[in-house]
Amino acid sequence: MALFQSIFAMLYQFGDTFAFLVISCAGLAVIFGMMGVINLAHGEFIMCGAYVTASAARAGMPLPMAILSGALVAGIVGMIVERLVIRHFYHRPLDSIIATWGISLIATQGVLIVLGSTMQGVGTPLGSVEVGIRSYSLYRLVLMACALGLLGGLYILFYHSRFGVIARATIQKPQMALALGVDTGRVYGLTFGLGAALAGLAGGLYAPTMTMVPTMGATFIVESFVTVVVGGADIFVGAAPAAAILALIKAGLTAWYGQLFGQIGLLITVILVIRILPGGLSGWIKGTTR
Amino acid sequence: MSEILKVEGLRKAFGGVVVANGIDFSLSAGAMHCLIGPNGAGKSSFFRLLLGEHAPDAGTITFDGGDITGLRSFQRIRRGISVKFQVPGIFKALSVRQNLEVAFQDHLHGHSLDATIREMLEFTDLQGEEMTPAGILSHGQQQWLEIAMAVGVEPKLLLLDEPTAGMSPDETHKTGEMLHELNARGITILAVEHDMAFVEQIAERVTVLHFGSIFTEGTIAEIIDHPGVQEIYLGTSDV
Amino acid sequence: MTPTSSTLAPRSRARVLLARLEGPQTMGRGPAFWGTAFLAVAAAAAYPLMADAWTVGNAAYFLIWTFMAMGLGVVWGYAGALSFGQTAFFGFAGYAYGVLTLNLGAAYGLTFVALALSVAFGGLFALVIGYFMFYGRIQGVFIGIVTLSVTLVLETFMAQTAGPQWRIGEARLNGFNGMSGMPPLTLPWFGGDILLYPGPSLYYLLLGLVVVCYLGLRIMLNSRFGNVLVAIRENPHRVGMLGYDVRLYQMLAFGIGGAFAALSGALYTAWGQYITPSSMGLTSAALPIVWVAVGGRRDITATLIGTLVVLAGFQSLTIYGSQYALVVMGTLLLLTVLAAPEGLVVGAMKLLGRVFQRSKR
Repeated sequence: MALFQSIFAMLYQFGDTFAFLVISCAGLAVIFGMMGVINLAHGEFIMCGAYVTASAARAGMPLPMAILSGALVAGIVGMIVERLVIRHFYHRPLDSIIATWGISLIATQGVLIVLGSTMQGVGTPLGSVEVGIRSYSLYRLVLMACALGLLGGLYILFYHSRFGVIARATIQKPQMALALGVDTGRVYGLTFGLGAALAGLAGGLYAPTMTMVPTMGATFIVESFVTVVVGGADIFVGAAPAAAILALIKAGLTAWYGQLFGQIGLLITVILVIRILPGGLSGWIKGTTR
Repeated sequence: MSEILKVEGLRKAFGGVVVANGIDFSLSAGAMHCLIGPNGAGKSSFFRLLLGEHAPDAGTITFDGGDITGLRSFQRIRRGISVKFQVPGIFKALSVRQNLEVAFQDHLHGHSLDATIREMLEFTDLQGEEMTPAGILSHGQQQWLEIAMAVGVEPKLLLLDEPTAGMSPDETHKTGEMLHELNARGITILAVEHDMAFVEQIAERVTVLHFGSIFTEGTIAEIIDHPGVQEIYLGTSDV
Repeated sequence: MTPTSSTLAPRSRARVLLARLEGPQTMGRGPAFWGTAFLAVAAAAAYPLMADAWTVGNAAYFLIWTFMAMGLGVVWGYAGALSFGQTAFFGFAGYAYGVLTLNLGAAYGLTFVALALSVAFGGLFALVIGYFMFYGRIQGVFIGIVTLSVTLVLETFMAQTAGPQWRIGEARLNGFNGMSGMPPLTLPWFGGDILLYPGPSLYYLLLGLVVVCYLGLRIMLNSRFGNVLVAIRENPHRVGMLGYDVRLYQMLAFGIGGAFAALSGALYTAWGQYITPSSMGLTSAALPIVWVAVGGRRDITATLIGTLVVLAGFQSLTIYGSQYALVVMGTLLLLTVLAAPEGLVVGAMKLLGRVFQRSKR
């Protein structure tokens, strides 16, 4: 029984980290994988989703609805940003990072000015379950299910829907897609919007577990960057397995040495991985199966 | 004549695609040699293997008496292999002079650097373009500039991947003369080329590559008369 | 190089170096440029005579940041590697100065030894990160992400060093609140050490350092090393095929950029006698990018001028609250990359150059 308990504790720790990595990096990975743009305002879209979720929930909306509305608002904001700014940078990927950093500064500080340094959040719902002597947050178990559901949903979207086919075609051969009558501008807009909405979803899902501050996005970005760097450009054969491996490392290190060493361990893993696998996991996996 | 380059049993495959299927090839010092073959024959891959941009699955490359199979690209260049790419690989935003400086500064300093750059400007007919950003030169001029840069590393062997691609007949002919001049200075030349008139102008011997292996080798006349070569190019052979 | 320089008689080493003050990699040449530059330095030198000590100490604060900006200019503008994590080396050296001086003390000029060691440590740290990045063949946007991750993780690390077990010798790291109470730079002198608190003496020291570093970088950028750096920015593949080890050059450039950031960091700690983890945070990391992008990254002069102008603008905006100033900085960054990707100062300098050329004809 004690063995079962410690196995469950390890699994829980692993699942929790895995869910956090997958959920927080999905939006970044979609935008980077499909458009080659690294969105440094990723954290601010997460913050946007979290703020909308918390406000809606406190206004009386049921939490799942509030989370979805957070994702929706972030997605709409993302599409506006794409139209106004990102669109000018498709041939200058390095400048697009700088531009999104500008947006990030404006958003963080703008929210600080308008809404103040903190906002009332919503409590973590669902309570806890007890396994043996320890209790575990039920909501975090729901988040783990959400992470798996998210991966499944994205897979269906990109590989079994009309949008997915058109989007992948546009990304691989923009000229060809254009010649076939695809409105590539709209595809880019929708893809960026989807990435922003996924960031908003991350914010919404984690809103009940966090303190609402304008800089809360920064909590997510190291983990999501690291996952995308280790994973490479493809979310399914890259980011998802990367999240699993990183979660294993982080959960292990956190269990033995504490939270901080989990994060440092992640960074060192990344630096070692880029030295060994320049194309990231997805480059390596594709290379060996080619 | 001594061999400057000797390739033995060179093999490279990407998954199921074999780009070099046991190539045995040697080149004597001072030669002017062309490599021809239909698209996909493995010519560019052969160059990449020689330059160390791909690591071979098997085989050895001996250059100038030493085994270079395990060396990195820049180390091979330092041994005396130089290359001119098909798409001009120049520094477009930098001036013609800076392009040449980067190429020559490793071996030359001060006055000899200045003198050599002036000589190279003359050699490539780029006098007066010294301060022009290289990116706004004509296509032919960019190709010549890159040939001049390739000379900067004081090569013993110069590899050229379709040096005349996109050139007018006049420019092509002038390029041939430039290569003869470089050869006369003692640089061994190995070129991938499609233009048979140009091949006739520069090459003493020709090697035909097909499906990643050497199909045949001979003088230009032998190659033109070779029935198998004609079949390869007409696509009726699946040798 | 001008045609006249090649006709000079056998050139001595010093003359070769001086000739490299001008060259294709740096804007500005001839008597008009150097005359203006001299006047600018003279005006800067005369400034403390006209201002009170507090204002001069504040001006010294501006000068501190220019080293990090120039270093980023080398890494980003010249070598083409977009680093978001210069603050990692800044903070690392800032803490190193604190730890070293608190342990060594300020006598016998040891603060300057601590300064030099901090810069060396910061540069070494950058070399190590650079080694893993460039020898791992990562490039483009990934360099930005990795460097940013490094600085953010360092911030997190330093922020949790609050407990008493986090001490190095005499120095408590103090977690989120940061270290303080270290001595300022101290010159040993007959009849008593001179403590360089923010004021005219520190200002002159920094001004001298800025001039030396600026001229030194001009020489380096117009040298063979600089030639190779800009060539790598344009076409790394070709540079490798000219027999250069591209990774080594990139790593060295990154190390130099890191050492300059470290110089800023150590001087910052010496100036204010404190350093906090937030100096390595996301907002701090964004600011060097703003200065260098707005000024113009491809020219060291533009980087220097742009940094000073943006810093001065930032500070006058801070009167209304630093969050307003940061919104303006973000907007400025966005507008620069949208409308003038070369940078505003570079644009202005090119315009001036053209007007000057025309009036000469």
